[in-house]
Amino acid sequence: MLELRAVDAGYGDTTVLRGVDLVVPDGAVVALLGANGAGKTTLLRTASGLLNPTSGSVLVDGADASRWPPHRLAKAGVGHVPEGRGVFRSLTLRQNLRLQAVSVTVEEAIERAVGAFPVLGERLDQVAGTMSGGQQQMLALARGYVENPRYLLLDEVSMGLAPIIVDEIFAFLAVLAQEGTGLLLVEQYVTRALELADLVYVLNRGEVAFAGEPSELDSAELFEQYLGVTV
Amino acid sequence: MSEFLIYVVAGLVTGSLYGLAGMGLVLTYKTSGIFNFAHGAVATIAAFCFYTLYVTLGWPWPIALVLCVLGLGVLLGVLLERLGRTLASVSPAMQIVATVGLLIAVNGLTVTVFGAESRSVPPFLPVDNLSLGGLNVGVDQVIVFLIALSSAVGLFLFFRTTTLGLSMQAVVDDPALLSMGGTSPVRVRLISWVIGASFACLSGVLLVPTVGLDATILTLLVVQAFGAGAVGLFSSLPLTYAGGLLIGVLAALSTAYTGSVSFLAGLPSAVPFLVLFAVLLFAPKRRLVEVGGQLRLLAKAPPSFSPPTKAVVGGLSLVVLVALPVLVGAKLPIFTNGVIFVIIFLSLHLLVRTSGQVSLAHASFAAVGAAGFSHLAVDAGLPWLLAVLGAGLVTVPVGALVAVPAIRLSGLYLAVATLGFGILIERLLFGTSLMFGAALSLPAPRPEVLGLDSDRGYYYVVLALTLVMAGLATFVIRGRLGRMLRAMSDSPTALSTLGAGVNSMRVLVFCISAFMAGIAGALFAGLTQSVGAVGFSFFASLTWLTILVISGAPFRYAPLPTAVLGGINIAVLPSYLTDERLLSLLPAVFGVAAVANALLTDRDTSRAPSQEERDAPAVLGGQGGRRAAARRRSPVTARMAVPAPPSPAARDLTGARL
Repeated sequence: MLELRAVDAGYGDTTVLRGVDLVVPDGAVVALLGANGAGKTTLLRTASGLLNPTSGSVLVDGADASRWPPHRLAKAGVGHVPEGRGVFRSLTLRQNLRLQAVSVTVEEAIERAVGAFPVLGERLDQVAGTMSGGQQQMLALARGYVENPRYLLLDEVSMGLAPIIVDEIFAFLAVLAQEGTGLLLVEQYVTRALELADLVYVLNRGEVAFAGEPSELDSAELFEQYLGVTV
Repeated sequence: MSEFLIYVVAGLVTGSLYGLAGMGLVLTYKTSGIFNFAHGAVATIAAFCFYTLYVTLGWPWPIALVLCVLGLGVLLGVLLERLGRTLASVSPAMQIVATVGLLIAVNGLTVTVFGAESRSVPPFLPVDNLSLGGLNVGVDQVIVFLIALSSAVGLFLFFRTTTLGLSMQAVVDDPALLSMGGTSPVRVRLISWVIGASFACLSGVLLVPTVGLDATILTLLVVQAFGAGAVGLFSSLPLTYAGGLLIGVLAALSTAYTGSVSFLAGLPSAVPFLVLFAVLLFAPKRRLVEVGGQLRLLAKAPPSFSPPTKAVVGGLSLVVLVALPVLVGAKLPIFTNGVIFVIIFLSLHLLVRTSGQVSLAHASFAAVGAAGFSHLAVDAGLPWLLAVLGAGLVTVPVGALVAVPAIRLSGLYLAVATLGFGILIERLLFGTSLMFGAALSLPAPRPEVLGLDSDRGYYYVVLALTLVMAGLATFVIRGRLGRMLRAMSDSPTALSTLGAGVNSMRVLVFCISAFMAGIAGALFAGLTQSVGAVGFSFFASLTWLTILVISGAPFRYAPLPTAVLGGINIAVLPSYLTDERLLSLLPAVFGVAAVANALLTDRDTSRAPSQEERDAPAVLGGQGGRRAAARRRSPVTARMAVPAPPSPAARDLTGARL
């Protein structure tokens, strides 16, 4: 279980997250929703160790990981596909996968990646920065996938992509969920995210405004949270 | 023909060592984003340790060599990694100041401990001759070349084939991503610093039998390393090694074939910088990627003190300055020198602090002014004041010339280019009739009316001209141009979208700054009444920069107090230190103070999240924090509900007509 307990976090003097409690149970899909600036990316960064909480704690299976650096959290099974394109742009696809392959061999990593996204197999020696945005995102997801993490944090992985690619990515996420990877999903396609999700959290100005099952979430209320006004 | 080949062989041997040093420099720069001006100083430390162990203590050379290369390499690599990690979130200008300060500190300390004179080190490798295809080659040459070559090939293979080498490429791309993938960027950087430092140590120790043990020469190994790195565009390791060979061979050949031409006497030592300068001027700009260049110094408006404070402090200072000749007696010329330095520091302040452009060629500006003054006053017989003014004016085109790289380059590469430019002027022009002539000495008059040529009279002349220059500097810094320059150092893009010509401003500020430095040069010349290259070496440029930074810190870089303290620090303070040892330590103290100052101030807290720096140095050390911050700027800062306070420069601009 990946857990954030009463987490405050921010940048410099600016506090972004205030007293956030959030749980990603093993094998569950958790959707994290919220308006721009609600703190979704900050929450993911805190959960993967890129940002240390100013107070509260991050727990992996009950162990306090609040001060762990990201590479230690990665080894403990917390993967993070960051916003934007999470690939090493100047390296080839094969090199990208090789860097990710810590507990598996490079061949296994490539096999897993190509199994998930066959198109990657045709481009193993291409420099990642020269691939299309969709292909880079597939590589970024594949990087997150090859180590078979127990939890994968996904930050707007469908952003700026063609609808057909988005379909492919959501299909992949569904497979991941079936295989038992816990997903923490920040997604602009709210409906699609809710279809996958077992649990949903809504962040509003750095605080958890709703936590529960998707069926409990009133769409009017969600809309209100996004706009900050009552309709 | 065989003579030609002998020079080529000698060039290849030294060149391979330049290549090694260059590879170390490029590796650490690429992986950490810190361009280490003190890379040669690392070689110096190794060479002096080797000397102590091998010559003074009489240890066997292989043990001394291993200790000085591997032992010191690890030790210095670890220290440099710590330094680099702390420097990651300061502005490029302060990063430059920090490593330049380190260079000066190491050089100063070695001179204090071992003395300034050059020592010869007996060759420790066998010097028998070997006949290679009819050519006599020293066995030591072969060994050195092979050691260097195998190290270079080894590093290249390591970089290309191992996962760790791959991580070194990846850490340049995105340290945070590397960390999320389970590899610690700090460890990767640490290893590259250790390799880089070991390479510098190795080249330092192996160079010693050839160049002798001389702190300054060894410290300047960084010069050759710069040239070599430039050939590889500061990114390719094999090309850097090739660049080292090229520079070694070119320098050796130019020694051989220009020895009889006095005009070209400075060419061999200028070769690395000719190469460097050519690359920086002509290489495609997109290939010269500045690692971590996103972080800029937030230009602050100079602090305003309240009018009464200003009036009281200014009035008192003026009274002291006017009464100074009575107060200090025979030490007056020292104070005159200090007052002239006020002009130097004002002009440097204008470039470095106001417009955020680091110039490492400032002593060359002053030298051009000094030489120009002598030519105008003595050769052309111009009246004294006109000659001083003329000295300032002849320096202006030189400033404009240095501004040419400023249009193409910014931050680090500009600093490197200006350093190259300064050394080129020093090596190629100082000894010609254009400047100081072969004797490196020119007569320089003082004004001959009203008894102004006495020490006391000349002091008042200098004081008056310094006040005029201070007025000019204050006018520029406080005025519209100053606002725009600060805006430029904040964001050139934003400024040009407002319709301002950024390039012309860059040229203009270099011209004004050069003009002032030229005037100061002329006044230096009049002070000593004979002027030569002494005091105008590029080393002076480096020292001036560190002193500017140290002197500005207590006053939040208010221009006038900074410049006055700078003048006191550089000219007056040494003359009141009677203890020899303390005096010789002074440069080292300045260097250390500059490093400390860079480490402690100017943290760009508005962009790099200080939370990460404080709590997770092990995570986003190096320029990771910076890159992450740059990436995060749009997603997070833009989304945050809290509006960011306008930067001082932006606030300034709202009142400016553009």
